[in-house]
Amino acid sequence: MKTDDLIDMLAKNIEPAERPRWRMRTMLTLLAGLAIAVALVLTFMGMRPDIGTATWAVLLKAAFSATAAASVLPLAMRLMRPGSPLGWRVAAVLLFVGVSILATAIALMGMPSGLRLRSWMGGGFPWCIVLIPIFAAPAAALMVWLARSLAPTRLTLSGAAIGALSGGLGAMAYAMYCPVDSVAFVTTWYVVGIAICAAIGAIVGSKLLRW
Amino acid sequence: MADEAALRALLLKGLAGEEAAHRKFLTEAAALLRPYFRNRLRGAREDAEDLVQETLVALHTRRDTYDPNLPLTAWMYAIARYRLIDLLRRKKRRGDHSAIDDLEIGDADPAFEAGDAKRDVARLLAKLPEKQRRAIELVKLQEHSVEEASRLTGYGVSDIKVSIHRGMKTLMKLMAEESAA
Repeated sequence: MKTDDLIDMLAKNIEPAERPRWRMRTMLTLLAGLAIAVALVLTFMGMRPDIGTATWAVLLKAAFSATAAASVLPLAMRLMRPGSPLGWRVAAVLLFVGVSILATAIALMGMPSGLRLRSWMGGGFPWCIVLIPIFAAPAAALMVWLARSLAPTRLTLSGAAIGALSGGLGAMAYAMYCPVDSVAFVTTWYVVGIAICAAIGAIVGSKLLRW
Repeated sequence: MADEAALRALLLKGLAGEEAAHRKFLTEAAALLRPYFRNRLRGAREDAEDLVQETLVALHTRRDTYDPNLPLTAWMYAIARYRLIDLLRRKKRRGDHSAIDDLEIGDADPAFEAGDAKRDVARLLAKLPEKQRRAIELVKLQEHSVEEASRLTGYGVSDIKVSIHRGMKTLMKLMAEESAA
């Protein structure tokens, strides 16, 4: 088929394009991913038993995770449409990471040196860096599905952004179970958990996001 | 050759459903894409025309991802570049390095007229799932409206539209697979 014939075929009988409503579709996708993550946490981990007294701690940790997701959201949405400059959207992510590091340092410094390590590590292995990626997976899968219907052209970076965004949602859900409430723990290991999601996303992005 | 503003106006009219404007947009885009790919795939003229065709289908099926607040050519070349990189990756995976060895950015090829593509899109259309193939044949290759196609096949009007759109996306995938082979 000659290129001109192909063009004729593509153009013939086109209809007015419907408004794509990307924002709405992204929000619904993220909400669905979050709902699945919450259901998974409640089913397999359970709400932490002291939720009555820890409500505020849980809410704060969920809000911190939501802020992480929100800092990546503009970048992730931009990357799904070709040829759009990223501008401040990268800076927003870096700002969030910078503020988290700063918060960790301040929290640790305001604490007697004997308690620092325990407060930072949460008294054992920080399991959230394993569990956050697991609970992020449903949102990531849904976001990949959405992204493929758009047109991401920078697949590694798109994968990282989708990973981090889903990681934020996974952390929101995980906060319901997570028994450690120290500030330095959350600002370190939640961010590391989300960064691991971003790294996984960057690695699998160039395969999964191809279109 | 159309400039940014003219090209953008054509695409937006096409998005509003104007067939003639959309045809003109694709024709102008092809004229810009041809030297773009030829310069990057020197010595592989037919590969370049294959990529022009593949990118036209990509521009067409993803035209709703264009953000009217941003430059149109940036959008168009981002997609073109992605199709090129995707082709090179596929070839590499198959152990064919010829296209990558040929890849150089040199002087513009003076001849910009449409060459022949290696592959035949008509043959690829035959590989589409039955419903998508029927919808495309009736509406995009023969002279039937969407409503007529709906009557002829018994599928609903929106079903026909969705089948055409999906069929075009599938077509682009088949084109990409074949050009890497």
